[in-house]
Amino acid sequence: MNQIPVHQAGRTLRIQVLRHNPRDPASVPQLQTFELEEADSMTLFIALNEIRERQDPSLQFDFVCRAGICGSCGMIINGRPGLACRTLTRDLPDNIVLAPLPAFELIGDLSVNTGKWMRGMSERLETWVHTQGLEQLDVDAIEEAMEPALAEQIYELERCIECGCCVAACGTARMREDFVGAVGLNQITRFRLDPRDERTDAEFYELVGDESGVFGCMTLLGCEDMCPKDLPLATQIAFLRRRMAAAV
Amino acid sequence: MATSLDKGPARADVLQSLTGLLLVLFIWGHMFFESSILLGKDAMYWVSKMFEGEPVFGKPYPLLVSGVGVIIFTLIAVHAILAMRKFPGSYRQYQQFNSHMSDMRHPDTTLWYVQVVTGFAMFFLASAHLVVVILQPDNIGPYASSDRIWSGHFWILYALLLVSVHLHAGIGAYRLAMKWAPIPAASSKVTRRRFKLAMWCIIAFFLCLGTASLVTYMKIGKQHAPHAGERYIPTHKQAIQESE
Amino acid sequence: MQIIHTDVLVIGGGLAGQRAAIGAKRRGHEVIVLSLVPAKRSHSAAAQGGMQASLGNCLGGAGDNEDIHFADTVRGSDWGADQEVVRMFAHTAPKAIRELAAWGVPWNRVAKGEREITVDAAKKTICEPDAAHGLITSRNFGGTEKWRACYVSDGTGHAMLYTMSNQAIAANIPVHERMEAIALIHADGRCHGAIVRNLMTGELLAYVASATCIATGGFGRIYRVSTNAIINEGMGAAIALETGVATLGNMEAIQFHPTGIFPAGILVTEGCRGDGGLLLDGKQHRFMPDYEPEKKELASRDVVSRRMEEHITAGQGAKSRFGEHLWLDIRLLGADHINNNLREVKEICQYFLGVDPVRELIPVRPAQHYSMGGVRTDASGQSPTLQGLFAAGEAACWDMHGFNRLGGNSVAETVVAGMIVGEAMADYCESEAGALNLSSALVDEFGRRERQRLADITDGGGRESAFELTRLMQETMTAQVGIFRDQGRLEQAVATLCELQQRSRNIGLRSNAPGANPELVAAYRLQRMLKLAQCVAYGALLRTESRGAHYRADFPRRDDLNWMRRTLASWPEQDAELPVLDYEALDIMRMELPPGWRGYGARDYIEHPDTSARQQQIDTVLSELADADRHARQEALMPFRHLLPEHLRGNNQRLGDES
Repeated sequence: MNQIPVHQAGRTLRIQVLRHNPRDPASVPQLQTFELEEADSMTLFIALNEIRERQDPSLQFDFVCRAGICGSCGMIINGRPGLACRTLTRDLPDNIVLAPLPAFELIGDLSVNTGKWMRGMSERLETWVHTQGLEQLDVDAIEEAMEPALAEQIYELERCIECGCCVAACGTARMREDFVGAVGLNQITRFRLDPRDERTDAEFYELVGDESGVFGCMTLLGCEDMCPKDLPLATQIAFLRRRMAAAV
Repeated sequence: MATSLDKGPARADVLQSLTGLLLVLFIWGHMFFESSILLGKDAMYWVSKMFEGEPVFGKPYPLLVSGVGVIIFTLIAVHAILAMRKFPGSYRQYQQFNSHMSDMRHPDTTLWYVQVVTGFAMFFLASAHLVVVILQPDNIGPYASSDRIWSGHFWILYALLLVSVHLHAGIGAYRLAMKWAPIPAASSKVTRRRFKLAMWCIIAFFLCLGTASLVTYMKIGKQHAPHAGERYIPTHKQAIQESE
Repeated sequence: MQIIHTDVLVIGGGLAGQRAAIGAKRRGHEVIVLSLVPAKRSHSAAAQGGMQASLGNCLGGAGDNEDIHFADTVRGSDWGADQEVVRMFAHTAPKAIRELAAWGVPWNRVAKGEREITVDAAKKTICEPDAAHGLITSRNFGGTEKWRACYVSDGTGHAMLYTMSNQAIAANIPVHERMEAIALIHADGRCHGAIVRNLMTGELLAYVASATCIATGGFGRIYRVSTNAIINEGMGAAIALETGVATLGNMEAIQFHPTGIFPAGILVTEGCRGDGGLLLDGKQHRFMPDYEPEKKELASRDVVSRRMEEHITAGQGAKSRFGEHLWLDIRLLGADHINNNLREVKEICQYFLGVDPVRELIPVRPAQHYSMGGVRTDASGQSPTLQGLFAAGEAACWDMHGFNRLGGNSVAETVVAGMIVGEAMADYCESEAGALNLSSALVDEFGRRERQRLADITDGGGRESAFELTRLMQETMTAQVGIFRDQGRLEQAVATLCELQQRSRNIGLRSNAPGANPELVAAYRLQRMLKLAQCVAYGALLRTESRGAHYRADFPRRDDLNWMRRTLASWPEQDAELPVLDYEALDIMRMELPPGWRGYGARDYIEHPDTSARQQQIDTVLSELADADRHARQEALMPFRHLLPEHLRGNNQRLGDES
């Protein structure tokens, strides 16, 4: 059987966590320092769980898949947003500062409510295929054909895991709370590309043709550079900007 | 669609980019013309007279220069007003951005801040320069400019303006490319690296060119200081004068 | 305590839960989905390789149909599955995939013309037909006769879950995120909803509903090494068990996936082997053909995992400082294929192993992956013992997987079961039985009871650590209730789990911070997980045969004579040490496909006398219907369409059908 080994690599990590429990009236945001022996192949997932199990059971953070695919564990790691579960401590200095993703509602310590934000974004941008007659679909019939290359192109944009790193990395989003972020703009390009979605550019313009949408983007490219999934966000936003500018 | 779209945001964004693009092209052209001094006083004289329309109309009309100055001033004003929509609207937003920038250490984010700072500086520097040009359009020439720069101490303003305008224009051009250019996603990373490299090369080139011209004007101004105020007479006219 | 009323309460926001919610909502019922995490972060997203559905579009799938899918699934289950349910599933899977295609999933498509594939370590060129161009394609998976796993690169589950969630948002279905059901409200054999804990504030709420659906996925986290997400702690199954009325089926049937990366246990898809990847041993010898000459790397998962462990035990493993493992070799597929069709695999290898699978071997070893068992339901998805309680997906023992699930059948099950259970819940709400009648006193009583249980933990002042006990449970399960089981180890496991159960009543918390309190969460979940673990261990101890993934070294043969039975676990006495185990017979005389050899794995099994009798019956029926079409022949053997909602009964159209 597969066993998870514990093998010490000999470095002592100083992990500073920005802690705050908004449910606790006595809590004030502050950095708390934990010391931890580094182990081989240690990720921040392993490190934080060890801290919680051995040092401070009240420490809050979110992990789900711990394999870099679900987008739960976005946090600020030494100043930059990233997925904690696949960040190896060996790639970090002795001193590690962890903070919750900004721009999202804080639940406690490193846990933020990205789910609520993303649901709001989805509702606002209507991120689903808009087709007439979906409820009367004939599921016995052979599916509509689609060009293989187009399907792959759509998947390329669908790989977004809504982790929120692009929003946290965005100077615009930091200044303007209503900005839909690269995550929202990318989803618009994904549905615009999809022939199953019957919306026109004018309809997309209604959704993102303003300062909180594509014209709010200042092209700082933090999203592109911090995206854990390496999505082509810069080119997608540029594409959308051209289309939306041409739509009026 | 039943409701008509609000075209404002799209137009504002396009206009901001367009004015930016025109200003970038203008300033890069401007640099080549002003650096004609490096080829000699006659070259610069010829360029200045060309802009006053002498080759077309047979005699110089300095008001043409004022006209261009007014157009540029308008472009700058429009560009600045549009750009200011993106600036932090409150101290809290400013703080948010500042801490974001210092935490992230992300080059392109920092470059935007550089643009904000240089843009703000140019609000004063470029205005001062333009006011002089618009009000004294005939005061451009190998000696007139040099005297203004040296004896009039304008070199301080020009040195600051030189740095601001080229950082702002170079970064702006790069950002424009990233904002609008249809780059294939597959090669976007490579293309962006190239754009970035080009940006730094262009900035460096114009800073060198501008510094060389400025130093030249200063040298001429220093030599000409005792006669400050006298206009330059081009070599071919000097010959005529001497023969008279 | 705040009480929230709804027609349908779905516990779990993965594929099964959301599809069931959409179905009930479309029928005009009010639905609320509860989810431990934002719905799009559910573990459904981790399904990488594909979803089985017999579309038969691509060349490798040509000629595929429900009959073959059915037979593959029953063989995969080692005849542990409910064959009617397998029929319902195989019949509905193509509809599910076509529905998802219309909803927006970017399924990979067939490209006409020649392409190069890797089969049995050799390159081969095949030519896809023009007629199939642009239709949904599929890849090869283990234990199947045809290429049937439809896929979206290797992010199939992700793409499906996002499409499903977006459709749920479009349907305006509220998802109450970070909400955990900690008890089912029930009385007199009828379920009325759940007591729910808010994982942000710590407050308790009651959700009262006509129909309640458990769709909380598996419980892999009772094991130390699992491919499962850390939220897969089986709380849905556990609260069903704690009613003492609902039963859990076949809990001992635990699947181990052959290719968890070593040592972290993160999954790399079966698609790696389906697309032509190989398993190599310490000497880089391809060993699977030595054991399984027919299917080689693509035997069913239980068989491959067992062969791998067998090979390691024989001293053939690769040695590393973390222990022994084997290698997965996908280098032969080439950079293009890996970058396009196995990119998540590539990312996982890069980030967690520092390995580039284009050039290097991937260290793998079997890891806990799937729980075939779960809340026992009838064919419509309802608990036979607790009315108004439904279950769908991995949390359920609907029983289409029996003792081993085929790769790609689980994501398919989630959506298919969601389609069926959503309708069943709507039917139930509209029936007389579904009318909501309960006293607020009942809700209060359940609320009080749960509050008391939490207070016992927070105020108990015990000295045990929830984290420590959880680790001990997980290690016990991994070491003693793993791939190879025997009486000695299982007895030890049962005893250890009893002891841990005792100790878990003496947990003391070091933190009482307001809000979620992660330590409290760990404590109350542990108590419930221990019950699930005990169902697994105790069920495994009593099942003295080897079937599918349940392998007893001391009873290595499948025993149809004594064990053509499904285990049903219940826990009527809350303080009891052990579950009550009952058994439900699987009637061979009603099977469409009587037990036999699976086509891979052990050939040796103890036959049931009914098997040959039933085979004779079948032969007779079929000989009388020699001219009938396959649907009629099937119908004569084991009718199933009446069990499906009406709109799902039609025949699936395929390319080359005579219309």
